[in-house]
Amino acid sequence: MADLFLHQLVLPVAYILAIVVPLIVAVAMFVYWERKVIGWMHVRLGPTKIGPWGTLQAFADVFKLLFKEVILPAKANRFLYYLGPLIAVVPALAVWAVVPFDSRMVVSNANAGVLYLLAVNSIGVYGIIIAGWASNSRYALLGAMRSAAQVISYELATGFCLICVLILAGSLNITEIVNAQAGSKGFFEWFWLPLLPVFVIFFIAGVAETNRLPFDMAEGESEIVAGFHVEYSGSPFALFFLAEYANMILISFLSAIFFLGGWLSPVQGWVHLDAPGWINWLWTGGFVWILIKAFLMSFLFLWFRATFPRYRYDQIMRLGWKIFIPIAIAWLFVSGCMRYFDWVSVGVGA
Amino acid sequence: MNRISGYFKSLLLVELLRGMAVTVRYMFKPKYTMRFPMEHIPKSNRFRGLLALRRYENGEERCIACKLCESVCPALAITIDSAPRESDGQRRTTRYDIDLFKCIYCGFCEESCPVDSIVLTSIHEYYFDQRGQNVVNKQQLLAIGDRFEKQIAEDRTLDAPYR
Amino acid sequence: MTVVQNLPLICFYAFAAVMLLSALAVITLKNTVHAVLALVLTFFSAACMWLLAEAEFLALALIVVYVGAVMVLFLFVVMMLDIDVEKLREGFVKFLPVGLIVAVVMLVEMLGVIGVHAMQLRTGSVDPAAAVGMSNTEWLGFALYTRYLLPFEIAALILTVGVIAAVALTLRERRDARYENASRQVKADPRKRLRMVKMPPAHGDESTAQEEPHA
Repeated sequence: MADLFLHQLVLPVAYILAIVVPLIVAVAMFVYWERKVIGWMHVRLGPTKIGPWGTLQAFADVFKLLFKEVILPAKANRFLYYLGPLIAVVPALAVWAVVPFDSRMVVSNANAGVLYLLAVNSIGVYGIIIAGWASNSRYALLGAMRSAAQVISYELATGFCLICVLILAGSLNITEIVNAQAGSKGFFEWFWLPLLPVFVIFFIAGVAETNRLPFDMAEGESEIVAGFHVEYSGSPFALFFLAEYANMILISFLSAIFFLGGWLSPVQGWVHLDAPGWINWLWTGGFVWILIKAFLMSFLFLWFRATFPRYRYDQIMRLGWKIFIPIAIAWLFVSGCMRYFDWVSVGVGA
Repeated sequence: MNRISGYFKSLLLVELLRGMAVTVRYMFKPKYTMRFPMEHIPKSNRFRGLLALRRYENGEERCIACKLCESVCPALAITIDSAPRESDGQRRTTRYDIDLFKCIYCGFCEESCPVDSIVLTSIHEYYFDQRGQNVVNKQQLLAIGDRFEKQIAEDRTLDAPYR
Repeated sequence: MTVVQNLPLICFYAFAAVMLLSALAVITLKNTVHAVLALVLTFFSAACMWLLAEAEFLALALIVVYVGAVMVLFLFVVMMLDIDVEKLREGFVKFLPVGLIVAVVMLVEMLGVIGVHAMQLRTGSVDPAAAVGMSNTEWLGFALYTRYLLPFEIAALILTVGVIAAVALTLRERRDARYENASRQVKADPRKRLRMVKMPPAHGDESTAQEEPHA
């Protein structure tokens, strides 16, 4: 009985906490890092006051948001108004169940991991739509509609990109997808090389799906004030914030997993040394590598934000439907040929 | 041919990458930020900030209530009343009010003053937290002048060759 | 102990209850947006029940396709509707008999189909995926792309025809309206629009010498 209790209740909760707590801290630090990087790119300093080099700025922001008054607009739908942020944040956290950090470091090594990713990710858009509708505000509704159309369009492109990965890897299991990128030729074994256009499209579509600049039509400060969360304040707003940044970190991790070899080392197969365990991960691979890769990918989000102006709505739709999807479908055939004629060697599980 | 190269350019994201190169170059440039309370931007000696009334070295106030500043002020920010001083019958101001909300810091009052009494100091970091504090009276203006006399005199000396 | 053992069963009844309740809510709620959200919940609980039955591909596909895409578009349309509820209620009593008859006929048909199917299943039903030692998704893929390839492709063809027909029906271009052509805008070349001219600075001849205030 005690054993069952442990396995059915205590361990899952411990796993969930072990992922969610570092994730929330990572989101907070990511916000700080974003403000810092964008500051630097604007030739400013960014936050410097709170904590050493301003490192505690993000926590100050969080507590400010949590202590603020939650305002319910008149004639807003109370139930849906509070449900919106919850629906936004739950999928953003639930997705992490299938994200592997190392060959054995994953909460659920599900067989249909990629499908689960797609399914849970597609629920998140309801948070935005419900919030936009329940706020009973024109700007919020406009933001919700834009976001709905945009997320659906780019989900297709993401889906086609993932299918290319699946064709090469031959599995829906995310751990096996990473193992399929193992081999003896270092980082040339990873899928970014045979799937380069797809990799680019996947990441850009990921930026669009998280409603980040230059695709932040749902917020569009200069056009519709703040879009779907214009009526939100305090902790519900903090939840939207958390969901957005958790999704950004997720897209970074997914790009690292699907195209940059996950936890595999970029010098795999080149360096063979006998060394103690603490340094061994440098060439045999370890969770530090996936963190480094995800960090570099997430830096791109900030770099984009500091560089590009916002797309116009029709340009976003054109990019998604007329450019990304055709290229992704074309590369679907190419990757099919790669697999059929054995143009690329797919590493057999390490 | 041009079209094809255009397609290649847009597919290879050439222009986007060029833009990103610009931002990343700026990321490593020295930053312009002044950490305001700790650091200050160097100010010109002609800086036109908060107003003040000066005194002579013997402690006598300079203002002789000629009201030139009042008449030249384009924003009508200065209000002056005058009367003979009780002790020696000299013409002096009984009231010298400046509404800092109206003041546009043009410096005409300083230009017009025959005795260099009303001056614009280099102070620009001041605030009001209550209604009515925006109107500063004679005592306050003299106090500001007393406190920053050294700086005011220095600025005037530096500017003197150009006047 | 028993609670843990019966967990799948308990979950099944819980999901089934949620599904029935939300399905009921779909047809009783007055607010159309609420009804659509209830329909989303119905799909979601159905997916959860399929997961319990270890049909993970179907369950996740249901969420991706219906919850993630179709219902979002539904919501998209319904949010913009301005429906007069009273007007809709007017015909309720008039159409009640017809509706009831249709409902009863459908119930009988479904009972018949499911009943017949259940009787067939009872005679030695083996999970075909488990029989070959594959996961559900893998087996489904093999079945679709080998044995059922032709129906699968025909279904794809029909859907494509549907898409093309829908686009062809709604696509019309008005000659008198002005459109922004994003492709042309993207192709704009700054070198064709802007000419940088380098002018030599003017030297101090008579005309400029007069304008110099302090010499």
